[in-house]
Amino acid sequence: MNGREKEEYLREYEQLKKKGKAFFPYAIMKDSVMFVLVAAVLVTMSLVMGAEMGPKADPTTTTYVPRPEWYFFFLFELLRIIKSPELVPVATVGIPTICMVLLLLLPFYDTGPERIPWKRPIASITGGMVVVAMAYLTYLGAAAGSPSEIVLETRPQYEQGRQIVAQSGCLACHAIGENGAHGGLGPDLTEIGTMVPRPAIKRSIAVGPGIMPSYQDLGEEKLNQVADYLASLD
Amino acid sequence: MKLPLPTRKKASPVDGNGDDPAAPVEQAGPSKAEKRAAMKTAAIHHSAEGGATAAGWVDQRVNASGIYTALLTRKVPKGTNWFYTLGSATMFIFAMQAITGVFLSMYYTPSATQAYASIAHLTNDVFMGEFVRGLHKWGASLMIILIFLHMARTFFFGAYKYPRELNWVIGVVLIILTMVMGLTGYLLPFDQRSFWATIVANNITASGPVVGPYLADFLRAGPDFSATTLSRFYALHMLAVPGLIGALIGAHLFLVVKLGTTAPPWVRAARPKGARPTEMVAAGVPVAVSDGPDAPDAAPANGAGPEGAAEEAGESTPDDAGPDGEVSA
Repeated sequence: MNGREKEEYLREYEQLKKKGKAFFPYAIMKDSVMFVLVAAVLVTMSLVMGAEMGPKADPTTTTYVPRPEWYFFFLFELLRIIKSPELVPVATVGIPTICMVLLLLLPFYDTGPERIPWKRPIASITGGMVVVAMAYLTYLGAAAGSPSEIVLETRPQYEQGRQIVAQSGCLACHAIGENGAHGGLGPDLTEIGTMVPRPAIKRSIAVGPGIMPSYQDLGEEKLNQVADYLASLD
Repeated sequence: MKLPLPTRKKASPVDGNGDDPAAPVEQAGPSKAEKRAAMKTAAIHHSAEGGATAAGWVDQRVNASGIYTALLTRKVPKGTNWFYTLGSATMFIFAMQAITGVFLSMYYTPSATQAYASIAHLTNDVFMGEFVRGLHKWGASLMIILIFLHMARTFFFGAYKYPRELNWVIGVVLIILTMVMGLTGYLLPFDQRSFWATIVANNITASGPVVGPYLADFLRAGPDFSATTLSRFYALHMLAVPGLIGALIGAHLFLVVKLGTTAPPWVRAARPKGARPTEMVAAGVPVAVSDGPDAPDAAPANGAGPEGAAEEAGESTPDDAGPDGEVSA
């Protein structure tokens, strides 16, 4: 905006203001209606959804895979999309920082006089794409479920074992289907049933060969359920 | 804040600002400053005559009625619509968060050993405890939604452009701080989810360049996550960040009142279709409300640079109804 355009804008604005209405009561009225609406939504949300609590924090569990609040999903998904370790700082800090700086300095590089959205297509399309990207990443984050979840189809008789595997942190080292640690410390378990017989699987879980910890503490029943489940994977 | 402003009132000697070195020396009437002083004196006399009422006594000292008029009788431009309620709605949610937060803090113990139990007690035993905690929890989500919608409105309406660049910057900082509130508040209930999510967030911070590791150490209060970490997050969540947000909202609002809210960009003051303001001046259409007849030489298009025109225009700011209590007549 050059000096003339600035003046034009301010003159135009002054006129619009002259033709406008007083803040009180007209704008206040709209604001108040909005307040009531927001308060109603909030009270409803609180009454319907309440405020549940998870289990108490336990710093000794190393297997709990956390999920952030939904409004951080888009950052979280960025992390999942960018897999290679040397690029992780780019995802966690690089991209968000660059976006933040670009956002902060917006009025200093977008200095054109045009304000109507459809007459400044570059800004509007970029903004629209950012909105879509954030919405998509948030959706992905919401749809992905907890990282300790196993989406591989399971026959109902193995459901118990599947849950124990999901909750015991096996996926911190192993991959099962799309979930878990691909290229992690332990072998991929997606087709373990075809490679290792059930008794050997059970023994491995109980003993913990090599660097794998022993899961003897699960108890005989759970060990059997886990072994049944893993042996069924093919 | 002096802006290179056009002639809201045309540069006539009568309206010249007394402080302006470029203003004509001989003035035909009382200067703006004199008028202002006269009005203030009158107001003081008036309230003095009003006598012993407490309201009058206070008003005489703080000029509350002036501020009140400046805030409430200011005009919002033509075309203002429902999109313009998003900002105040965000502020409303922030106020709700502050109030529910105070009540939560009455029951909360910021210690690693007792935090979970205190929240469990609040949720399960205290009258309306879960409701208030629900308000606070879901209020955070609503505030994020509203503040992003408010920013989207500002972006797509081009409202961040001259002269409101600074207010955009403040707004972006407010968004970041709101996210920080979400992050720091998440840990406080101290359940598994919040604990491990916070560890991850902290590791992400640590992976940042240069300051990252130091910032992470500061947040953790040491190289490892400890009991002090919780108090640190608690202090940030309920003292430092909300204080900063409150102050910045104040600055944000000050600029809103000072500069005025924008009109939707497609709304135009009535004028021949397609005509640009400069052409209109050439055609003799009055573009600015003026005390006197339009002098063609006051139009900026005719040679006078923006600075020159601003000097001539003297005192104008986009909105004379500033917090100093002076209201555009």
